[in-house]
Amino acid sequence: MENTINIGIDLGTTNSAIAKFVKGDVIVFNNPLDYGRSTLPSVVYYKKDRIVVGNKAKEYLERDPKNVVGLFKRKMGTSESFQIKSINESKTPVDLSAQVLKELKTFVNTGDTLESIVITIPASFDSIQSNATKEAGKQAGFKQVVLLQEPIAASLAYANMKKSKELTDGNWLVYDLGGGTFDVALVRIKDGEMKVVDHEGDNFLGGSDFDRLIVEKLIIPKICEQYTFENLENQMKSATGKYNAKYYSLINQAEEAKIRLSAVSSAEIIVERMKDEEGNEVDMEITITKSEFNDLIKDSIDGTIEMIKTILTRNSLTSNDVQFNLMVGGSTFIPFVRQRVEEVLQIPANCEIDPTTAVAIGAAYYAATKPKEISKDKSEKKQYSISIKASYNKASKETDELFAARIKGNTEGLFYKIVRQDGGFDSGLKELTERINEDLPLVENAYNFFTLTVYDGQNNVIETGIEPIGINSGFGISGQPLPEDICLEVDDYDNPGQTRLALIFERNSVLPTKRTLTFPINKPILKGNESDRLWINVYEGPQTSLPEANKLIGVIEISGKQVSRDIAKGSDLEIAIMISESRDVTVSGYLNMSDQEFKNVFNPKVRDTNITLLKGQVTDLSSKLDEEIELATEKEDYETAGALSKVKKEMEAVADEAEKLTDDDVTDKRYQLEDKKRKIAQKIDSATKNKRLQKATDYYYETKAACEELIENSGNDHERKTFNDIVSQESAFMATKSPLKIQEKSDELHSIIGQIRWRTPDFLKGIFGSLLNDQAKMNDQSQAKSLIDAGNFAIESQNWDRLREINFGLLDLLPRGSKEDITTKIGFGL
Amino acid sequence: MLEPNFKQYKSYFEILDQLFEVERKLENIEETNSISRNLNKMKDIFETNLFSSSTSSDIGFTYHNPIGESYNETRLDVEASIAGNSTENLVIKEVIKPIIRYKSGGSTLIARKGVVVVESKN
Repeated sequence: MENTINIGIDLGTTNSAIAKFVKGDVIVFNNPLDYGRSTLPSVVYYKKDRIVVGNKAKEYLERDPKNVVGLFKRKMGTSESFQIKSINESKTPVDLSAQVLKELKTFVNTGDTLESIVITIPASFDSIQSNATKEAGKQAGFKQVVLLQEPIAASLAYANMKKSKELTDGNWLVYDLGGGTFDVALVRIKDGEMKVVDHEGDNFLGGSDFDRLIVEKLIIPKICEQYTFENLENQMKSATGKYNAKYYSLINQAEEAKIRLSAVSSAEIIVERMKDEEGNEVDMEITITKSEFNDLIKDSIDGTIEMIKTILTRNSLTSNDVQFNLMVGGSTFIPFVRQRVEEVLQIPANCEIDPTTAVAIGAAYYAATKPKEISKDKSEKKQYSISIKASYNKASKETDELFAARIKGNTEGLFYKIVRQDGGFDSGLKELTERINEDLPLVENAYNFFTLTVYDGQNNVIETGIEPIGINSGFGISGQPLPEDICLEVDDYDNPGQTRLALIFERNSVLPTKRTLTFPINKPILKGNESDRLWINVYEGPQTSLPEANKLIGVIEISGKQVSRDIAKGSDLEIAIMISESRDVTVSGYLNMSDQEFKNVFNPKVRDTNITLLKGQVTDLSSKLDEEIELATEKEDYETAGALSKVKKEMEAVADEAEKLTDDDVTDKRYQLEDKKRKIAQKIDSATKNKRLQKATDYYYETKAACEELIENSGNDHERKTFNDIVSQESAFMATKSPLKIQEKSDELHSIIGQIRWRTPDFLKGIFGSLLNDQAKMNDQSQAKSLIDAGNFAIESQNWDRLREINFGLLDLLPRGSKEDITTKIGFGL
Repeated sequence: MLEPNFKQYKSYFEILDQLFEVERKLENIEETNSISRNLNKMKDIFETNLFSSSTSSDIGFTYHNPIGESYNETRLDVEASIAGNSTENLVIKEVIKPIIRYKSGGSTLIARKGVVVVESKN
């Protein structure tokens, strides 16, 4: 157990954050329900049956003021309390702060027991206000609460970032301009001790005021210039106004524009989807320049400068006596704020720390120096024994599903919360009772996981042992699974002239399902030329077998006669395949170049057999069979050769019959032949599978060994991980006995080998050497020469990255290989 | 569950936002050039192609337009501004930015919250 407190909280007026000191560094915990952000809006929303803290509460702040409270920090230490309508109770600022602190506890994912804490307070807090903050800490379950002034916290964050904990003696300012409040403090350091000497502030000035100014002073007047409105500003700002919804949308855009203006000189705001009084559709793009924005906020910023001047005068200081002005709070991201303050006061603006988290970070550094002072009274810990029996539908097609549970044990003083694991739902903190019910909203077509957590009155987690709540939405309920793989026939670029199957839907995929693939076509289709054809052949059956062995369930033929213009080689063919729940297969091919779509629906009961295709397949199969017999005989594999020879006889009969078929044959003959052909192909497939499998397996192990050796010598972590991932799947893909699957893994290993080799000096030098031999063939001789010179220099100076680039450059200069004349059947491939 | 850090994808989200805008504008136009096909293709690239690799397939991003859906304080997939006077029976009236979800196999994560304006339907 750590002996120092280590955890610090910035309990802010508008936003709060929590950070922890870990081994010399500070981590700021992320908001688990709002990732990407580490802050929690200090707003509490009471509903009848739940308490919501943070962002969601903030959204309701203006609209439901009787139940939502924010900015309560301003009332700390006063006797004022807030009457909450929904629960008919009043809550003090201390109660509300305690809720925020409790919520912050849920950010901590390091498993710490949170008993001691540092909480920051404004420099302006008096002892009553400070004690109230301590009280809130106690109420939130902390046993030891240490307070720290915000300007000091920010200064500590700065000092630690500089890694020089001892700053030179002197004065500086901490300028804290946040979302809704402004504070400035004069900090003095003497003999290593920091002290806040003086402070000023404005509780109603911050970034959100700037957003409002943009809308009211810039956007609304510009809209009114072009369109007819009667008092648009009122119509927007009044809750009953016609354009109230639009107002919030503009505020949002204004905030975004404000952020952009910190980086660029102008930002656009688009106003659309509203009509003016005369029914004209408003559609305009309003440009806001940096200088317009700066003019807008100038008065506010000058107001803050006046406060600093007041402080300086009060303390008989001049600008020269102040080392720097430390910028804290999100609004100090605005360049104009930094510039203006610096320019007028002639005090350098110091922007070296992250202004949004500096205070929490400083608090954590301070916490690391404060020892824990808690009597370790073990017996005090209550032993809760809560057991939860949950009941809910594990699959649902509804948009939400009812979750019900019975709780055994003493539920008094306990709360619970249900959160969806994708971060899209939070029930808020609700009282735990013997029976609980909650409607859980579901994301369509996904597994939805929820976690139920039980907390005690101080938001400490109570162990319950309940499993995550898993609900499957959409698919998997009534949809039936596919009985076989569905594949597309493609040209096999590894075996020119052959085709292979590309998996589209895996067996057991749930219907309905849809997929779109795009292939560049590998031959031109000339308009009017009937012999130029593309084939979209959809097969049902194992992905690993030969196309001819599977059942053709859908086919689209696109010939030159159908296209509206010449289609160039390399242009895209987009193929969409959709299978309905009743297993109708819809296949469509879309040619990008001619903007033409070819579509057909295939019903599983009506088989569609294309005679041209059938004849072609029979011919291919015959020659493939001959090859295999020859190969087997050569290898003296008489068993296979024998089996294949038997097939050969059947094959000849089928070929004869197929030859006799006319293209418009109306009998069942084509279906019978198709069946026979398929059976023959399956026989060839199984007779030769062993051979292909052996080859693929041998190749895999060879590649694996080579890859392993390379990784050991010069691989990086990422490559090692990819390699290990592949190897760990080894038993699984070997068990498939599929040459294709195994080949795929070998290819993946090969790409790792490629990656590593292209880093190793020897390989790079080797490639460079062989490229030198090819210099004469290169397209651009003068460029080749200068690259080669640069390459020689790179070798001399051992600049391997450069050599790699040069090799790529030289490779580009080589003429393309003459593989163009390979005939392709399908028209696209892998 | 390991929460992927989505910060690095910010520019991709900006492209998705633009696609969403284009899609929304297309709904109001009758056009013969099948622009929606190109749009769907781009959406598809985000959903299936762009981020998949040989070792991890089927990951990607999709966006969802929550217009017309009901809203209350338990809904964390959008950031809402509430217009009007009432906070009962809220529905999403305007979508400034769509919800972007990260899909990995069968499960999803909210990668970027939607930004919406909600109003009571009463």
